[in-house]
Amino acid sequence: MLRRQLARLAQLRPDIRVVQRATPDAADQRHQLYVQWLNAGASEPDILQLDVVWTPEFAAAGWILDLDRFRPATDSFFPATVTANRWNGRLYAIPWFVDVGMLYWRTDLMRSPPTTFTELDQDAERARAEHGLPYGLVWQGARYEGLVTVFSEYLGGFGGRILDGTRVTVSAPPAVRALTTMRDQIYRDTLVPPSALTWHEEESRFAFQNGETAFMRNWPYAYALMADSATSRVAGHYAVATMPAEPGGHPTAALGGAQLAINANSAHPDAAWAVIEYLTRPEQMLERARGVGQFPTRPAMYDDPALARALAIPPAQARTIIEHAVPRPVTPVYTQLSDILQIYLHRALTRQLDPAPALAQAAKEMQALLDRVGLGEGGMRATR
Amino acid sequence: MTRPPLSAEHREARLGWWLAAPAVATILLVALFPLLWTVWESVHLHDLRMPWLGRPFIGLQNYLEAIGDARFREALGHTLIFTVATVTLELVLGCGLALAMNRAFRGRALVRAAVLVPWAIPTVVSALLWRFIFEGRSGIANALLSDLHLVRQPPVWFIQAGLAWVPVILADVWKTTPFVALLLLAGLQNIDASLYEAARIDGASAWRQFRYVTLPLLRPAILVALIFRTLDAFRVFDLVYVMTGGGPGTSTEPIALYTFNTLLQNLRFGYGSALSVIVFAVTFALALGYIRFLGAGLTETRA
Repeated sequence: MLRRQLARLAQLRPDIRVVQRATPDAADQRHQLYVQWLNAGASEPDILQLDVVWTPEFAAAGWILDLDRFRPATDSFFPATVTANRWNGRLYAIPWFVDVGMLYWRTDLMRSPPTTFTELDQDAERARAEHGLPYGLVWQGARYEGLVTVFSEYLGGFGGRILDGTRVTVSAPPAVRALTTMRDQIYRDTLVPPSALTWHEEESRFAFQNGETAFMRNWPYAYALMADSATSRVAGHYAVATMPAEPGGHPTAALGGAQLAINANSAHPDAAWAVIEYLTRPEQMLERARGVGQFPTRPAMYDDPALARALAIPPAQARTIIEHAVPRPVTPVYTQLSDILQIYLHRALTRQLDPAPALAQAAKEMQALLDRVGLGEGGMRATR
Repeated sequence: MTRPPLSAEHREARLGWWLAAPAVATILLVALFPLLWTVWESVHLHDLRMPWLGRPFIGLQNYLEAIGDARFREALGHTLIFTVATVTLELVLGCGLALAMNRAFRGRALVRAAVLVPWAIPTVVSALLWRFIFEGRSGIANALLSDLHLVRQPPVWFIQAGLAWVPVILADVWKTTPFVALLLLAGLQNIDASLYEAARIDGASAWRQFRYVTLPLLRPAILVALIFRTLDAFRVFDLVYVMTGGGPGTSTEPIALYTFNTLLQNLRFGYGSALSVIVFAVTFALALGYIRFLGAGLTETRA
């Protein structure tokens, strides 16, 4: 896909030669490799594909170029994707494609998706009783980044957030209610199987695809994979919606996806920008949607019938969910914060700690980390 | 002033040093240099992700942080539990296996080869194998437990702090017992058969033969197995990484995994180095302790 797009670019701009470099698929490993390159001051690669939570880290470290100099048309992208790529008010990466957490629901078991967590519990319970499903809801509960994205959607649904500027707010009442709800769904309502606490995306998809559950929280990739009736028992019987919310909260979708940024030591920043500008054009995004099902980052494209033909998910549904996307905390130390949060979420969900003390301890350690690196209450430090 | 001619002994000593120099230099380069480098890193603040903090000298601050770090202390505790449990089990089972293999019977060579199979399988593969055995509803372990009516509700092994250890320890014991058995078997074969003959003539029971002939003479082999296994168990990483990832929470996280996370995931080189130095000190002390308390017979020159 990318090769084909770059070949077309080579015809448009014969002066630019782009060489692709393979990097590990696993986000952690790719991140580690990038940090090693950039920390050593390597001038290559010129263009980096970043995970959405890396941009502030790389920007604060002075490893990637401030892109405002190229005057990008930021208002043609989904606002959340732009927010996630800003650090200290400047834009450091261009959103390439967007990924969002969503609620998959069974259209053969109910008429409409639930809009509150209470409704979700009731619908799941009813579907389970009437149709003998083993589970009501599945999500990703293993101790990894995925768990934080799931939690952030519950959290938003209860009106909470992880970070408020320089202050960690993950121990506030909405957060405790969100985590308690997740835990109750496992042990009190027995809607979520305890083994989901070891699951990543694929295990939950298998459960949904085998018709074992009424609901699943997952990313868009699962949609097309479950459409084949030869391998999927739910082919043609599911749709997606935004995760539910309680009164006082907002339906929330965790924001993922890829961005393109320029190495601060690049010897060819202008050529790099030309490539990024080309790859993020609507035509290329449409091709990506058709080929690999990745969502364009430009809202205007969702009105184009061509996108409806390209995507498995109806674009109107996708767009509604993306408009509810909320970036995870935009901070250079996101990964470390998430690491702490993952541990305490998992301890609470595996009943080693109660939700309130778990979150209180997580907040304490997260705040200590922010303070230690100078990003805490003492005020934001300026980047280099 | 003329230098007195070197004596032959001196010359020989000097030649000896020259001949040993490449080996000594290599040891310094591959063993001492990285160690010193780690120590140097450990007294600096070096956070790859926060280059704006610089790389200042901070003395023992990283060590102080480690002492106050509950996750580190817990990881140390987990490592100890794992080490004691696996080494004990492996030694007992390995000893039994070695005694069995030491008997003359038909197909002995085949048994000896077969016993090595678990040891030959790469740890990552056997870890995955054991994870599947214990995973969820479909796992063999749970199917077996419910078929035998041993439990009413099969447990989810990997989400309970205590239970998650069971598959991990079993996997390590399964994999490493053959190694211990083979080391002990080598020791057994060094024991002179006439000693048993003498013991039998004196009317010693099988147990007394084992207790007063086999065990004392097996001590060097046991010591070697103990040192190898303890140090290996103390550094356990791949097994846990694959099976539990240190979870649930961090309740099966050993020290090597925590250090790995600190160094390579969070890229805190200074702090991670301090953790590594502590681990090194502990393992080194363990090895010295073994040699001192158990190895008296090993270092004495035999008459």
